[in-house]
Amino acid sequence: MYRVDVLSMEGITKIYGNGFIANKDVTFTVREGEIHGLLGENGAGKTTLMKVLFGQEEPDDGRIVLRGEEVKIANPLKALELGIGMVHQHFMLVDSLTVAENLVLGIEPRKGLSFDLEKAIQATEEISARYKLPINPRAIVDDLSVGEKQRLEILKILYRGANILLLDEPTAVLTPQETEELFKQLTTLKKQGYTIVFISHKLNEIKEICDRITVLRKGRVVATADVCDVTELEISKLMVGRDVDLQIQKDEAKRGDTVLKVRNLEYINNEAMKVLKKLSFDVRAGEILGVASIEGNGHSELSEIVSGLRSYTDGEVQVCGQEIRERSIRALRESGESMIHEDRMIYGVSPEQSISENIITDRFYKQPYSQKGILKKQTIQETADVLIDDFQIACDGPTAPVKTLSGGNIQKVVTAREFSANPKMLIACQPTRGIDVGAAELIREKLVELRDQHRTAILLFSADLTELLTTSDSIIVLYDGEIVAYFDDPKAVNESILGEYMLGLKRHSEAELQGVIYEK
Amino acid sequence: MKNKLALGKRELNTAQVTLRFRLIRTAISLLLGLAVAFLLILWVSDNPMRDMSNLLVGPLSNTHRIAVLVNMFVPLLFTGTAVSLMFSAGQINLAAEGAFFSGAVVGTCVALIPGIPFVLHFLLCALAAAISGAFFTGIPALMNAKFKVMTVVSSLMINYVALFAGLYIILNIVRDPTAGFEASYKFQKSAQLPVLIPGTTIHVGLIIGFLMVFLGWFIQYKTGFGYQYRTIGKNPRFAKFSGIPVASTLVAVQMLGGAIAGIGGATEVLSLYDRFSYGGLTNHGWDGIMMAVLARNNPKYIPLAALFLAYIRTSADVLNRTSQVPTEVVNIVQAVIIIFIAAERFLYGWEHRSIVKLSEQRLEAQNEQLQEQ
Repeated sequence: MYRVDVLSMEGITKIYGNGFIANKDVTFTVREGEIHGLLGENGAGKTTLMKVLFGQEEPDDGRIVLRGEEVKIANPLKALELGIGMVHQHFMLVDSLTVAENLVLGIEPRKGLSFDLEKAIQATEEISARYKLPINPRAIVDDLSVGEKQRLEILKILYRGANILLLDEPTAVLTPQETEELFKQLTTLKKQGYTIVFISHKLNEIKEICDRITVLRKGRVVATADVCDVTELEISKLMVGRDVDLQIQKDEAKRGDTVLKVRNLEYINNEAMKVLKKLSFDVRAGEILGVASIEGNGHSELSEIVSGLRSYTDGEVQVCGQEIRERSIRALRESGESMIHEDRMIYGVSPEQSISENIITDRFYKQPYSQKGILKKQTIQETADVLIDDFQIACDGPTAPVKTLSGGNIQKVVTAREFSANPKMLIACQPTRGIDVGAAELIREKLVELRDQHRTAILLFSADLTELLTTSDSIIVLYDGEIVAYFDDPKAVNESILGEYMLGLKRHSEAELQGVIYEK
Repeated sequence: MKNKLALGKRELNTAQVTLRFRLIRTAISLLLGLAVAFLLILWVSDNPMRDMSNLLVGPLSNTHRIAVLVNMFVPLLFTGTAVSLMFSAGQINLAAEGAFFSGAVVGTCVALIPGIPFVLHFLLCALAAAISGAFFTGIPALMNAKFKVMTVVSSLMINYVALFAGLYIILNIVRDPTAGFEASYKFQKSAQLPVLIPGTTIHVGLIIGFLMVFLGWFIQYKTGFGYQYRTIGKNPRFAKFSGIPVASTLVAVQMLGGAIAGIGGATEVLSLYDRFSYGGLTNHGWDGIMMAVLARNNPKYIPLAALFLAYIRTSADVLNRTSQVPTEVVNIVQAVIIIFIAAERFLYGWEHRSIVKLSEQRLEAQNEQLQEQ
């Protein structure tokens, strides 16, 4: 079927203040009523291109043509006026307000001088029915699931009259079931004539839902194609620029003694909510235990507790036989624990400091990095050089500030530091989130290498279920602060089975859950 | 090929462009400041040429003026370094003023004790001054570490504690009733710092000041402790997660800053005067904040910043004495220059275009290489 071009961006160039070329001569065309996949590794420039289109970034060169007319999009308001709406990866909602209030925020219906809630609710019901996107107008946003929040975001831009929808990695936060639901909704919208730009780096999703794709690499367009003409392997090759092994090579785990022992762990947060309930599990030397859970079910708290960053209410947490309560993070690191926090820009690096300064934070005070309190510049540089080489960090050398690197390379700096400490215990929280396929592949390989060569006990938290299934030796599922499932062989499960446990639809029996406790 | 070689030679990285722009920004700020000065002088002066030349070279025209310049320069070395250290750790501790004052008071007290040999006597004064300086910057630091009291507020307030406690000691305990004005007894000769260049008032404090600058720079960039507090200053949560003891490091670096300011206070009174006669705060601590901002918290650049400020103030002095141009004119000039230098985004558009051009050049060079392969 022939469709007309509704939107085209021509020769877009965007260079950031630190000299990073986010887009270079990008030409990107979308046809009326299609779902267009925008693909690329992280740092390839997808989000930047969409921000230019939504008026959040000003391009250094190029023009935008909408329905045959050149337009200048100076800010998001202008973009909405032109019918372009964007759903960001991180939701822009006011959590304490109701769905209806969020929907009309900024263009509220009024009754005299005051806000007309009834009319807002009515408007929400109407629009929800028209687009077959069910939602409860009176619910408080804070109580919604991630999938519902996303639906509300989509409704919000539809309500503002958008007919071109930009979705920035909409599935990154969803479970497989929620993703399926979203796809149904998108298909419905497409049938009603809406045009959708879908950003992702999950190839199977692209294949499933998109009509055409544009692939970006290092800020340039490397291909535009009909989705039916290319295979997943070809797409991944286009994205990375070389062949990628989507499977990971690893042998059976050779498990040793218990390194991390957690018993009856309870945590009550400042709002008096019981976030973790009687957790008990073991992680043994030379094994990778994966933790699957949806955001908000306690995995962040668990990872911070075992990292020594957060204290806990009750129970025991032992690393190498020693209780971690009341011990400083330095003491934990000294005793052989390493940790990767999920929030890399805040806990993982100091962006303004150099790569070498970021690589020595856990060890600068020790031999051979310093002597009598004075830093050994030479040794530090050499160490950084070796690690840059080993972890293939693309940079201008060890003195480059970390903030000039791309997301994937920043994460490589974090892993280079944590892995090179040769830990007995490693807490890896979302080690590959939001980074490109190539960097993620390297980090997963290094994880397995650590497991085999140093017999490290690894606790892996990941929202990427494929990663969890391929990298872990066994998996636990966390739901509502409890362990609800234990799989000793990840090969025997798939993503949708995991999803059912993550959503709390099913749970294992007490006897099955005993499997994760090695030292009875 | 030729083209590429030339490119390779000229190739700068982004950090160098940023540094170059910092220099350009400073130069242009100075020129702008001078232009403003010239306009103002033209307006108020009956002999603009003479006054303009006095503004530019007045401070260097005789040894007395050079000595005035140097003596204005010395205390700025201490307080500038002190504030740079504390600001590098991300702590807006404004107690350097009080630390400097308390150092002068405590240094005075020790300097009154008779019978201590020369050199050792000054060292004891400096040690006592360092301890009292560390005390006054350390208190707000500790209050922040223990009770999360905002350092800005508590350190600002503690300056008055230092001032009035100091004045109490001077006026009630060590006051010389025969002096004829409110001042302490005369210092013992053994405690006073000798003149460095005979025939002027330039004193050994200059050397001590440079020593402090070097010490501050060395600690900040060469030691583990310096690395530790700089990392905290850039990203405290990262520092904590990496195992750096955040609270104790912060208290320690702020005490170190106070100690340096305190030594500055003792050095100042024991070199320029023969008895303590301050009636209020000296403003050297506030100037230290300005020094730290201009030097971007790097002690290495403190002498430059201090020279600039001391120079322009000496000019003001000269103008004040030789013409009807009021000192305020120079204050305006000083403010204009500092505001421009401190403005991160001044000339930003130009800088950004240069970076864009640089990135494109580099990209072209890469493409050429690729094509040749």
